[in-house]
Amino acid sequence: MKTLILIASSILWLFVCNQNKPEKTFSANYISIQQDTLLTASIKRGKVVYEDFCMQCHMATGEGIPGTFPPLAQADFLLENRVKAIKAVKYGLKGEVKVNGAIYTSIMAPLGLYDEEVADVMNYILNSWNNTSSKMVTEKEVAQIEK
Amino acid sequence: MKNGTLVFLALLTTFLACGQNPKEVKANDIPITVSEAYSHEVIVPDLINPWGMAFLPDGSLLVTEKSGELIHFKEGVKTEISGVPEVYNRGQGGLLDIRLSPDYAKDNWIYITYSSTEGDEKGGNTALMRAKLSGNSLTDQEVLYKASPNTTKGQHWGSRIVFDNSGHVYFTVGERGERDVNPQDITRDNGKVYRLNLDGSIPSDNPFVGQANAKEAIWSYGHRNPQGMIINPETQEIWVHEHGPRGGDEINVIKKGANYGWPVITYGINYSGTDITDETKKEGMEQPLYYWVPSIAPSGMTLVTGNKYPELSGNILVGSLKFVYLEALYLANDKVVKREKLLDGIGRVRNVVQGPDGLIYIGVEGVGIVKLIKN
Repeated sequence: MKTLILIASSILWLFVCNQNKPEKTFSANYISIQQDTLLTASIKRGKVVYEDFCMQCHMATGEGIPGTFPPLAQADFLLENRVKAIKAVKYGLKGEVKVNGAIYTSIMAPLGLYDEEVADVMNYILNSWNNTSSKMVTEKEVAQIEK
Repeated sequence: MKNGTLVFLALLTTFLACGQNPKEVKANDIPITVSEAYSHEVIVPDLINPWGMAFLPDGSLLVTEKSGELIHFKEGVKTEISGVPEVYNRGQGGLLDIRLSPDYAKDNWIYITYSSTEGDEKGGNTALMRAKLSGNSLTDQEVLYKASPNTTKGQHWGSRIVFDNSGHVYFTVGERGERDVNPQDITRDNGKVYRLNLDGSIPSDNPFVGQANAKEAIWSYGHRNPQGMIINPETQEIWVHEHGPRGGDEINVIKKGANYGWPVITYGINYSGTDITDETKKEGMEQPLYYWVPSIAPSGMTLVTGNKYPELSGNILVGSLKFVYLEALYLANDKVVKREKLLDGIGRVRNVVQGPDGLIYIGVEGVGIVKLIKN
C-alpha cells in the first residue's frame, strides 16, 4: 500500500509541477482546441499579452496574490461573469469584487489594449490553468461591450 | 501511521516542493512592523492613477493621471489643463512624472515624462519634455529626450525626474520588456538613468560622451524599471529604486557610469518561479543598498526632511503598489536598520512627495492625493 501511495504521489508530483509551465497549462483542452485553429491562434497571442500586461499581478499560473490581486485560475467571478470580465480587461476595474468568497478592493487601471488583444487575452485566460470556456471571445464581441 | 495521513503528507510535500523556490525568502531580512502612529486625510479625491505631482509656488498642486490628464488642483477645485501631449496610455505607460524646475520662480519650466509615440516605429517609448503653464494650458513645449525605438510592449517605462543643484536634470527609463537587449547595452536606450542639462543638451562630463555609438545622455545603466528617485539635498547623492521581477526590487545609490547588473545579476526569479540567473554579485556591477524579497512593487520615493515628522526625518518613504502601504525605511550610516508599514491597507501607493510645507503627500490609486498625519 505504501509503495502504491509513493508511486501515486510521484505521478501527482509530476502533474502538479507541470502546472508551473504556462505553455502546458491548456493541454487538457488541446484535442478540442486542435479542431479550432482560430481559437488556438488567439490563445497563443493572448499568452504574449498576458505575460506583458497581467502576469505581474495575477502571476504566471493565474493564482494572484491572496488578499491583494484576485486569482484568475478557477475564479468564479471570471467564469460566471463573462461580460464583466471582458469589461474589466477593456476598461479597468474599480470597486469591490468578490472572487471565490474573498473580497478584493485594489483598483485595476485601464490597460490600453486593442479589442483584438482583449479577446486574445480573454481566450488565453479562459482556457488556461484548468479554466474552460465553450465559447470563444471575438474582437467583435469585445467591441460591442460598452463602459 | 494511517494511510490517510501518509497521503496528506505526500500531498503537502508535493505542493511545498513545487511552490517554493529558495530564492523567494530573504535571509536575515530586517523585519517589517505595522505602525499605528499615522493616519491620513484625503486632499484631492477621486483620482484613478495619480502618477506624479508637483506643488506650484502658490501652494496649488499639479497632478498627472496616467491616462493622460494633467489636473491643476487649487482651492478645492480641479481644473484639467489643456494642450497636454498625447500619451500612449498602454500597460504601465501614460502620463508619468512631473517636477518644477529648480529655478521655477525665474524660468517657469515644468518637466514631464510620458509615453510618446513619436518616431517611425509602431508603439511608444518614454520621453522627457519641458513646458510652461499659461492659464489653463500647457505651452512652450520642448521635447528634450525621446528614448527609442518604440515598441508596443506595455512594460517598464520608468519614470521619475530629479534635479541636482548644478544645472542638471536626471530621469529614469525602464527596459521596456527587453531585458536581454537593452539594459546592458549603452548604445541602446532603456534600462537607464539619464542626465541632461536643463535645456536638454548633453553635459560634456557625462560618462559615455565620446564613446562610439553610445547614447551619451546615459548616466548609469543595468536597470530594470525605476519608478522612484530622490536626490539628497545636502550630499547631492541620487538614490533610485526599481522593480525586480518576482523578488529583487532594489534601492540603488547611483554613481556616474555604473552598471546596476540587470539581468546579469538579480535577487529575483522569473514570474513562473524558474531562475533567471544564479548570480547575485559580480565584479564591475553595483550591489543594492537594500533589496526586497518578495517584491513590494515600489513606486515613488521621498527623503523626509525638516521637523514635521521628527521620527521620520532623515529617513525615506517608499510606496508599495503590491502590498498597499507606505514603507518607512529608517537609515543609519546609509544602511536600512528598521522598516515600518505606514497607512497599511490604504491602496496601491503610486507616489510620495514632501510638499513645500514639509508635509508628506501620497498618491494612491483609486483614492487620490492624501496627506500623512501623525496621530
